[in-house]
Parts: sequence; structure tokens; C-alpha cells
Amino acid sequence: MEAAFSRITMTAASAMLLLALVVLWRRHAGAYITAFRTQSIALAVTGAVVASYGGASELFFVSFMILVVKGWIVPSVLSGMDAKRQSARELRPLLNTETSLLVSGALAVAAYEISRPLAEVMNLPTRGGLPIALALVFVSLFIVVSRREVIAQIVGFLMLENGIALLALLGAYGVPLIVELGVFLDVLLGVLVMQAVVYQIHDTSAD
Amino acid sequence: MDPLMTDALVIAAQTAFLIVIAPAVVGYVRLIKARLQGRRGATIIQPYRELRKTFRKGMVIAESASWIFHVAPFAIVGATTAAASLAPVVSTVQPADLVGDLFVLAALLMLGTFFLALGGLDPGTAFGGMGSSREMTVAALTEPTIAIAVLTLALTTGSTSLGAITGTVLKTPAYAIGPGHALAFAAFLIALIAETGRLPVDNPSTHLELTMIHEAMILEYSGPYLALIEWAAAVRLTLLLTLAANLFLPWGMATSLVPAALTVGLCAIVVKLAILGMLLALLETRVAKLRLFRVPELLALSFTLALLGAASSFFTK
Repeated sequence: MEAAFSRITMTAASAMLLLALVVLWRRHAGAYITAFRTQSIALAVTGAVVASYGGASELFFVSFMILVVKGWIVPSVLSGMDAKRQSARELRPLLNTETSLLVSGALAVAAYEISRPLAEVMNLPTRGGLPIALALVFVSLFIVVSRREVIAQIVGFLMLENGIALLALLGAYGVPLIVELGVFLDVLLGVLVMQAVVYQIHDTSAD
Repeated sequence: MDPLMTDALVIAAQTAFLIVIAPAVVGYVRLIKARLQGRRGATIIQPYRELRKTFRKGMVIAESASWIFHVAPFAIVGATTAAASLAPVVSTVQPADLVGDLFVLAALLMLGTFFLALGGLDPGTAFGGMGSSREMTVAALTEPTIAIAVLTLALTTGSTSLGAITGTVLKTPAYAIGPGHALAFAAFLIALIAETGRLPVDNPSTHLELTMIHEAMILEYSGPYLALIEWAAAVRLTLLLTLAANLFLPWGMATSLVPAALTVGLCAIVVKLAILGMLLALLETRVAKLRLFRVPELLALSFTLALLGAASSFFTK
């Protein structure tokens, strides 16, 4: 039972990391947004699994909130932003795809090496997923710094947020509900603010 | 019966099964593709008819072709058959474990690719050379991926022998849902698509000069030689699909040589091939061929996946 729980959370975490890697390979903002949406759904599933096995029932509510806010509202706002984007449809990353993928592979291996001592002293069944969550944080940060377009940077930032949420879920079965709600509000507000100022940012940072 | 005889019989039967059903697998994928595209499509046995027809035809051989051109088809068939004989198909009891493991299998597949490229280069035509250079580019990038995906399996199960890997995964199903296994499976699937020349890396159903890889190499071949190469390509596809099915999802395989278990194992592999073939056809209908210069990006993705798989099975062992 516990072995299956640990394996399921690890696989869900891997799926989230996989979606961050897919972003590095794709070239259209639409694909970035779809990857983020799928990743948020995977995060919600992980939350629900942790809730049912770990006996933390308020996590069900958190998963539902993740599904609504990050799986539906935020992606729709992003799609709206993408539709209004004036420039060329294809994104131009600062690093080419092969190098990006190899760098993120190296980052992931580094994340494994860094978090190994941490995973060894913990006794939660979810500890195996910690390195993957840390790798997701690193890879998302890399997405933020290696993309030129603002919309891609926003997606990278949101994935970073997903990674931190996953880290909290697997490392401590979630943070207190009030903190979680605050984070949701922050994410929503952040995306709305970014939507309002994205054109000015784009004008000054594109060239 | 003499145990050595039994072993030989088991190996021969599984190899023969792979070789015989290979054209049917190709025909099945083509049929599903045709149905998905709204065509009726030829029956599953069409590739057998094509092979019979091609075997009966005469050969036209370029004047500039040397002995390599004549040796290549047999070398390809030999290497592919030898690789097929190592795979556990119906039963996890695979006596060929003693002769070769996953590394031998990868090397044999590479040997086939090598001779195919040589055969393409030998007549000295422009298309053959182009196809060979492309094939080598793709092969050089898929090879490390397959090696690392194999390493992932070997790290979790503690063996590089194919039969032993399937047996271990069958005994401890928790291995099969771990991240290492899942990531290695994704990497292996991408490598499989590249190795067998399917979409989006190569288009198996076109002779458009500027995009083809596999077809460009065999352009100078005709008659029985062509039939041999086509058959070997079909066996290669079937073999890799079988490996994907049995190494990563070995359920249903026989663990002993009892008739009842073997029947179940036979049904299991047919069902698995049918499902994987359908997925392949679905993928080929959904995606367009990648530009040649984007192929290395896809292969870099599969390499990263394999690396992550290996890292996670190494650190979470």
C-alpha cells in the first residue's frame, strides 16, 4: 500500500517534470499554455492522492482549488494574452533547443544529488518525489531565464510556482490552508497584473 | 527431452514467430492508418503478397556496385534475425540470456543499420549517399538514448539480460510504475520511432526525395534483395515493439513452459502488439513530419528523458 503510494506520487511528479521539459521543446505559446494546464491538473491529482493516502482531508479542497485556479482560470487568461500578442507566432528562445534540453538534464541530475541527503533523513513515503520536485523548480527557473518572450517567461514562472507547491505537498503534506489560499490569490493577482502590463514589458524587453 | 534441445526449440520458436508475423504487423499499422484517414486500406496480409511478388522479380544492379552491395541484404537479415532471437516474446524463460543481453541486442541492431548505410553508399548514387548520411546522423543520436534507457532497466532490476529483466518486473510490479521505468519507456518509444523510420522522423509511405531517409538508402535495391531488406525492416519494427511491450509491461507472459501459460503468453503478445500498433498509427496520423534539422531536438529530448530515468533509478534505488 505504502509502496504503491510512494510510486504513484513519484510518477505524477515525473509527469510534471516531463511537461516542463516538453515546454523546452515546443515553439508555440499555445503549446506552453497547454503544458502548464496539464501540469496543474497533474499537481491537483498528486494533491488528491496525498490527501487520500496521507489522511490530510483539507488537501482535497486545495486540489480542487488548484484545478479551478491553475487548471482553468489562469490558462484561459494566458490564452487571451496569447491571442492579443502582435509579434511573430513562433517563440525564439535565447538558447537552442538541444542545449536547453541538455542543460535541464544536467540541472535535474544536480537536483537529485543535492536533495539526496534531505530525502535520506525524511521518513515520509513521498520522499522519493522530492528530487523530482526540486528538479522541476530548477528547470522552470531555467525556462524563465532562457526565454525571450514575456508570455513564455510567465508560463515558466507559473511552473516554478507549481514546483514549489509540489515540494510542499511531497515534503510536508501541504502547508496550512490559509497560506495555500494566500498563494492562490497571489498567483491570480500576479497573472492579472502581468496581463495588464505585459504589452509595456514586451515593448521594453523585446529589443 | 534433452534440456539443450528444449532451449534451442524455445529460441527457434520465438524467433520464427517474430519473423513470420512481422509483415502482418506492418500491414496492420497501415490498415489502421488508412481507416483513420478515411480510406478502406489493404488487408493485413498485403505485405506478404508484396514480398512474394518482389521475391519473384529479377534484379537490376548498378554497374558501379561492388560486393558490399550484394553482402549487405544478407548481413542485415542475419543481424536482425540474431537480434530477434534474443528477445523474450511469449515466455520470460529465455535460454538466449546465456548468449547475449541488451547490449548485444543493441549492437546487432546497429550492425544492421551499419550495413544498410553501406549498401546505400556503395552504388555511388546521390540519393543513397544522402540517405546513408541522414540515417547515420539519426542512429548516432538514438544509440546513446537506447543504451541509457537500458541502463535504467538494468539498475532497477539488477540484470541486463532480457529474460531476467522481464521476470523481475513481473515479480515486483512496483518497479513498473516508478519514475525511472516510465521515463525510460518514453525515451525508448521516441528512440523506437527514430530507429524504425516512422513519422515524425521519417515517412515510411513516401518516396519524396528531399525528406526520405530509409527509402533513399534502398533506392538502388530491387527484386529479392529489396524483399529481404523490407522484411528485415518489418522484423526490426516488430522486435522493437515487442521489446517495448515486454520489457516495460510484461504482464501476461508465461513464466514456465507449460502449454496453458504459453497460450496465454501468445495471446498477450498479440494483444500488446495490436495496442502498440494502434498507438503508432494514431501518432502517425496526428503528427506531421519534422524538418530534418528539428530531428536532433526530438532526440535530445529523448536523451534527456533517458538520463532522468537513469538518474532517478540510480538515486532512489
